[in-house]
Amino acid sequence: MRSGSQATDGDIVRAVLAGDRERYAQLVERYRDRYARYATRMLGSVDAAEDAVQDAFVRAYDQLAQCKEPDKFVGWFFLILRNRCFAERRRNRSSASLEAANDVAAVDRADGGAETAEQRRALQRALLELTPDQREVFVLKHVEGLSYSEIAERLSTSVPSLKMRMHRAYDRLREQLRDHT
Amino acid sequence: MNGHELHPLVKQLLDGDITLADLPAELRAEGEAAVRLLAGVDRTDVSIPAVTWRVMAKLERRRRRFAPWLLAPALAIAAALVLWLAPRTPAPASLVTVRFVLVAPDARQVSLAGTFNQWDPQATPLVRAGATGVWTATLTLPAGQHQYAFVVDGARWVPDPGAPAIDDGFGRRNSVLTL
Amino acid sequence: MITLLALPLALLSMQQGTGIAQRLTGRVPPQIASLVEELGTAASARGLPIDPLIEKAIEGSAKGVAPERVASALRLVALQLDTAAAALRDGGLVSDTLAIAAGEFAITAGLSGSDITALARTGANAAALTVGLRVAGTLAALGVPPAEDIGLVSVGLRSGEPVSALLSLPANVQSAMARGATPAQAAAGLARAAAAQAAHGPPPGHGGGHPHPPAPPHP
Repeated sequence: MRSGSQATDGDIVRAVLAGDRERYAQLVERYRDRYARYATRMLGSVDAAEDAVQDAFVRAYDQLAQCKEPDKFVGWFFLILRNRCFAERRRNRSSASLEAANDVAAVDRADGGAETAEQRRALQRALLELTPDQREVFVLKHVEGLSYSEIAERLSTSVPSLKMRMHRAYDRLREQLRDHT
Repeated sequence: MNGHELHPLVKQLLDGDITLADLPAELRAEGEAAVRLLAGVDRTDVSIPAVTWRVMAKLERRRRRFAPWLLAPALAIAAALVLWLAPRTPAPASLVTVRFVLVAPDARQVSLAGTFNQWDPQATPLVRAGATGVWTATLTLPAGQHQYAFVVDGARWVPDPGAPAIDDGFGRRNSVLTL
Repeated sequence: MITLLALPLALLSMQQGTGIAQRLTGRVPPQIASLVEELGTAASARGLPIDPLIEKAIEGSAKGVAPERVASALRLVALQLDTAAAALRDGGLVSDTLAIAAGEFAITAGLSGSDITALARTGANAAALTVGLRVAGTLAALGVPPAEDIGLVSVGLRSGEPVSALLSLPANVQSAMARGATPAQAAAGLARAAAAQAAHGPPPGHGGGHPHPPAPPHP
């Protein structure tokens, strides 16, 4: 992949702040998918993730002047999205499960496993029963594949406190999955 | 603390710090059961390309202080929200999650027919979200070229108004999905 | 027990037939099935893909189209496959069935043989060209005129960008159209921007792609 052939994030941020509004689309295009999976697993449906990411980009635009390090836009943007995910009002349980079910409903066509699809639905439902903090550490580690130290750096917290959160999450997930199968 | 907690070593196993082989024999079963817990982790990439134009349109709309956004002309009251995967690392068989949406408040049933399901109008029903008349279905499809259309009330073949369309050779139009 | 096992095996060998017949069984009327067999066998012998024929036959039957109309649509597909293959040969690419199928799609979308040849002449490899043809057809289906369409896709193919960049062209064009550009303007604008980037080379500093995002700004 050719690297460095595009404007840097900092260049685009500075251009937008200087009045070239249209260039914000470049940033959106560049990063709209980066956390789409994270938002989907955090909120339980692609619908909700799309709304959250859209809102986060609009908010980031509004607060662009407060982005202290324009070349690190994406990390700053992640925190805005994260806040938006945490603030998401819990949808009523039945519609969240239905959406999680719909979103994975056809996976079994390609994977060839109705059991796999059911496992995914079950885990997604169980994830939604965790606190947002617990769900987040689980998603960042087991879905996004980050290490504890990478997560700690991103969330400005410590590895031991992340592990404590995660270990509670494991127990709660196990409880949920056992009680609902 | 209740008695249902996983053993700390099993938690380390889930963390990836140790392997099953490192567990003492009496914990193996619990370890294997716990690993199955992770079997439902869905790592499918999600892509939301509609966000780009929606964000820019919202910013534009606020700037001009327009009335509520009309997603499509009154006749074609549907919007396609297509989500697709741009694989970050090349995968041998790329799968893409795609969401299909049709706004059809008067329809009694809506389904999706296309090259990915042998054009069978009964294979892939859409689900209606409450009273809003928004019908959706989400499929995971292989990367490649797909054509499709919605089938309304079992009889009316309707291309997706938000998607590129081509002649189907039979006097109608098919929608195009290029993944 | 042994006879029970033998029976399914016999059925299996009976069902082998040709690959074409298997895929059409129960989905198309007999006269369409024979036409597809005939066109498909001939196409296959010429190194052309048969999937477009099979899919079109299944589509027509599923839509309840009269067999005569399905038959003429099939003959058109066969003709377009030939045109696409010839256009690719003129551009230096021989016998890649996926590329030919993609070319057939591009023709259905309104592009011509010479448009296909132009894309083939960018020198892209078969895999990239296949994606390029699919994208070109999709852009045509969005209303982008052939000149701007081929112009935009050619820039992408020549620059050696990953196929994911090509695949996002239709969405980018739609974005621009949502903001008021015509399809031609949208495509031309994107092509200019891409060509400018290609010409000016890498700017100092890092680019936009990282496997993981950088750490958040420290307070």
